[in-house]
Amino acid sequence: MTAVDDEFERDSTDLLQFLYACPVGLIRADATGGITMLNPVAMQLLLGLGSVSQSMNLFAAIEAYAPELRHVVSDFGAEQGQICQGHRLFVGRSQGGKTEIPLVLACTIVKLNKDQLIVTLEDISERVAQERRLKQADAWFSSLLNAKDDFAILGLDLDGRIQTADAAVLLQTGFAEHDLVGNHISILDRPDPASSSMSMPDEIACAHRDGWHLAESWSALRNGGRYRCHRLISVRGDESGAGQQVVGYTAVLRPVAQSRMDSDKIRRRLTTDHLTGVCNRAHFFDIAEEELRRCLRTGRPVGLISLDIDYFKLVNDTHGHAVGDQVLKMVASACAAVLRPIDTLARLGGEEFTAMLPGADAVLTSTVAETMRSAIASASIEVGGTDLHVTASLGWVVGSAATGSLADLVQQADRALYTAKRSGRDRVVEGRPVSPVA
Amino acid sequence: MSSDQNAFDFATITLADLDRLDSTVINDLSFGVVGLSPEGLVKVYNQTESRAAGLSLDSVLNTHYFATTAQCMNNFMVAQKFEDEPTLDTTLDYVLTLRMRPTPVKLRLLKGSAAPLRYILILRSK
Repeated sequence: MTAVDDEFERDSTDLLQFLYACPVGLIRADATGGITMLNPVAMQLLLGLGSVSQSMNLFAAIEAYAPELRHVVSDFGAEQGQICQGHRLFVGRSQGGKTEIPLVLACTIVKLNKDQLIVTLEDISERVAQERRLKQADAWFSSLLNAKDDFAILGLDLDGRIQTADAAVLLQTGFAEHDLVGNHISILDRPDPASSSMSMPDEIACAHRDGWHLAESWSALRNGGRYRCHRLISVRGDESGAGQQVVGYTAVLRPVAQSRMDSDKIRRRLTTDHLTGVCNRAHFFDIAEEELRRCLRTGRPVGLISLDIDYFKLVNDTHGHAVGDQVLKMVASACAAVLRPIDTLARLGGEEFTAMLPGADAVLTSTVAETMRSAIASASIEVGGTDLHVTASLGWVVGSAATGSLADLVQQADRALYTAKRSGRDRVVEGRPVSPVA
Repeated sequence: MSSDQNAFDFATITLADLDRLDSTVINDLSFGVVGLSPEGLVKVYNQTESRAAGLSLDSVLNTHYFATTAQCMNNFMVAQKFEDEPTLDTTLDYVLTLRMRPTPVKLRLLKGSAAPLRYILILRSK
C-alpha cells in the first residue's frame, strides 16, 4: 500500500468514526424513501418505530406517525432545497416503557437532487415535555400574576348562575349588573360556531372535577361584539366546615391581546387533522397525557377506544384515494356525533382513530364504542350512483389509577382492536383489563 | 470444507462449542463471531467478522465493543439484553450500519450463567 493510499484510508476511517459518533440520526434516501445510508443513531431511532428492518424504507417506517411526510416530499417541486425542518413525529410510545413521555422525533429533510434526500432525525421528547410544562406555567402566570385590575370576577352558584359581578366585569363587558345577575354564565360565552371548544357547563363540570379549569375563549360584549379572554373557573368550597363541599364557583375573566387571533388559526392548523378536522396525532398525545394524569390524580377512570376502518386499503384501491378520503371524513363525523364535548377524537394515522373519554367507566366506554360501530356500519357515501358502506373494528379499555402510562393504554386498546380484526371485523372487543394494584 | 465445520452452523452452535473450539475453526466459520467479556471488552473477533466489517483484529481486540465498534447495537435490542437477562439465546433480524450502509443481518445473542464470555453471532445474507 502506498503512502497516499494509507493516508486516504486513515482519512476515511476518521470520517466514518465521525459519522458513527454523530449524536443525531443521519439518513440518505432516494426519492421513494429507500434508505441508502444511515448512521447508528438513525438506525436506533428507526428501530424504535417498528419494523424498518424489512423494508429499509424511510416513508414506510414513519407512515404510521406522519403519513403526510411522503406527500410533502413528493409535492416538493423544486430540484433541490429544504423540504421540512424539525417536523415533529409523535411516536407516542417509548421502547422499554421506562418513561411516560411520548417519544417525539424532529425530522428535517433536504433534497439534494431529484433522487437524493438527506434526512436528520432527533429525539426531542425531553424538549417537548419541557415546552408543555412551560406553556402550562405560562398560562398560569399570565392569568394569575398580572395586574389585579385586569381581572373581572364573577361569583356563580352551583348551577353556574351568576350571583355577583364586580365592577371590572361591568367595565370589561359593558353589561350592567342587572343584565348578568341571575343569568347563567353561558350568556357571556361567544364561541365560534364551528369550534369544538367546551361549553360553559362543560367547563364548569371540569372545574368541579379538578378544582379549576382554564380556557382561552371568547366573551360577550353588551354591544353584541365579543372579546378574547382567559377564563379561569375555580370551585368555591364551604369555608365553615372541614369538608370539601363545593358551594359554588368563581369565574375570572381576563382580556388577552387581539394578536392572539392569529395564534388561534395557527393552533388549529397544528392541532387538527387536515382531512377530517378531528384532533391530530401530535395534539392527541399532548392532551391525552394531561387528561390521563388529571384522571389518575382524581381517581377517576378514563376510557380509550381504538378504531380502524375495515378493508380500507381495498376502498382506496378500488375507488381511488378521493373516495378513501370521503370515507375517512364520514367515519370521523359519525364518531364525533357519538362523543361528548369533553371527549377527544383523534386520527392517529392512516385509517386509525382513537377516542379518549375522561371519566368514562367500562359501561359508558363500551356503549360509546358499540354506538360508533353501528353508526359507521349504517352510514354510507354515494360513489358512482351506489351507496358505499364500510365497517370498522374497535377495541376499548378503561384506565384507572392502577393502570400504567398512556402508551400502555393505547397498546391495550390496540391489542383488543387486533382481536376484533382477527375475529371477523365490524365488532367491538374489550381490552384485557389491567390487574389492579395489590 | 471439512465435515467438522459443517457441524457448526449459525442456528445450532452452542456456547460450549464456542468456548471449546480453537481459533482456526472459529475464524473459518461462515458467520461473524464476537466474544465479549462481562465488561463488554472484545475477546474474540473472528476473521469472517473482521473481513465483513473491514476492521482488523488488532484495532478491535480489548476495546469496548458497544461503545466503540458497534454503536449501532448499543441499545435495548442488543446491548441492554445482555445486561438485563441472566442467560440468553435469542435470534433477531437486525440492520447494521457498517460504513453507513444499511446491512440486514441475523443476530444471535448468547449468554450463559457461568460462561466467561458472551457471544454475538452475525449472519449476513449472501
